Amino acid sequence: MSKFSDVQIDPAIVRRAARGDAKAHEILYRAFSSPVYSICLRFTRVPAQAEDLTQETFIEVIRSIGQFRGEAPVGMWIRRVAVSKALMFLRSAWHARGQSLDDDWEEMTFDGRPSARGSQRQDQALDLDAALAGLPPVSRAVVWLHDVEGYTHKEIAALMGKTESFSKSQLSRAYQRLRPFLDSELGKKSGAGIEESVPAC
Amino acid sequence: MNDTNEMEQDMNCGLSVAERDMLQARLGELQDTVPPREVWQRIEAQARAEGLFRRRVGEGAKWFAGAGIAAAVVLAVLNIPLAPPAVDAGIESFDATPPPSVATTNAVPPDLNALMVQSQQIERDLRALPVQPSLMQAGTAATIAQIEDRIAEIDYWLNDPQVRMNPVQTEIYWRERVRLMNSLLSLRRAQAQRMAF
Repeated sequence: MSKFSDVQIDPAIVRRAARGDAKAHEILYRAFSSPVYSICLRFTRVPAQAEDLTQETFIEVIRSIGQFRGEAPVGMWIRRVAVSKALMFLRSAWHARGQSLDDDWEEMTFDGRPSARGSQRQDQALDLDAALAGLPPVSRAVVWLHDVEGYTHKEIAALMGKTESFSKSQLSRAYQRLRPFLDSELGKKSGAGIEESVPAC
Repeated sequence: MNDTNEMEQDMNCGLSVAERDMLQARLGELQDTVPPREVWQRIEAQARAEGLFRRRVGEGAKWFAGAGIAAAVVLAVLNIPLAPPAVDAGIESFDATPPPSVATTNAVPPDLNALMVQSQQIERDLRALPVQPSLMQAGTAATIAQIEDRIAEIDYWLNDPQVRMNPVQTEIYWRERVRLMNSLLSLRRAQAQRMAF
């Protein structure tokens, strides 16, 4: 599912990048800048912040690619750097506001304004992007990491410095908020009632 | 990543299987966003400022030295007996990035020798020109810089031991090098004439 694993890079390019070859790094950038920028944008929702995080990610790639052992595809390694940078940013932003990640659901959006209660807005049910935008940033990050990038709750917990329960809780609450979108989509698809869901975890 | 067990456990996060599948499918369909063009320029500038990029052989003002090395390397190759001429590659546009791995043959196109002699002659002509002025038209300076960068890039490829080019590719690179150096020589001569007036 992850776009990072779709891109194949010749090992010779990676070797050249490890030797500090600017051209090889540009090739890596051209190959992975869109998924990196997209993941940063999904997490922050602010283009300027996503651009800064993309820059930080690739500078880290340039600095550290010499340590890349090639055991996994280079794209997955770059993804890990990007996710780490984006989550670090979320953490620092939360700390700067004097809040912890656990306060994420206190009806505040990332920029500190009261949230629009995305789950209650009918129009959001029609647009997944808007539905995701209505989620608190950390929950959105958990949904993305788990459902798109394929991270386990254990891995997400480790990345966020939290417990697995925290990750599951964030995912569960995010799903609840996304339910209007899901109901709408499934209703359109089946034209019938919605399948009963099992109790929240 | 998330295995079957976890998938089953996650069904307890409030979604039915159908909802979960649909959500994952829709998420996967969301399009990536391309970052603005200047992001790479910022990255490149920062990396160069921090000295993270290796200085390439023949880069910038030192490309002349790289040219000499490239010539020396390939001239050494030319000491071996020449095989029959290879088929003309006939490229329209030149891409300085060769394929990472190319089947190598021992055939060395005879044109290569002439190209290298020509290249050395142009280098001598360039050296004979007056030193470039510190002040010059921005357009001319940019064009000269671009040409020198291209030559440096070609020299890099010709010198990199990791890059294995077959003789036809080598000839293409040398041909392009001569073409670029001729352009550079024309520009520098025009520049020298302007200085004389």
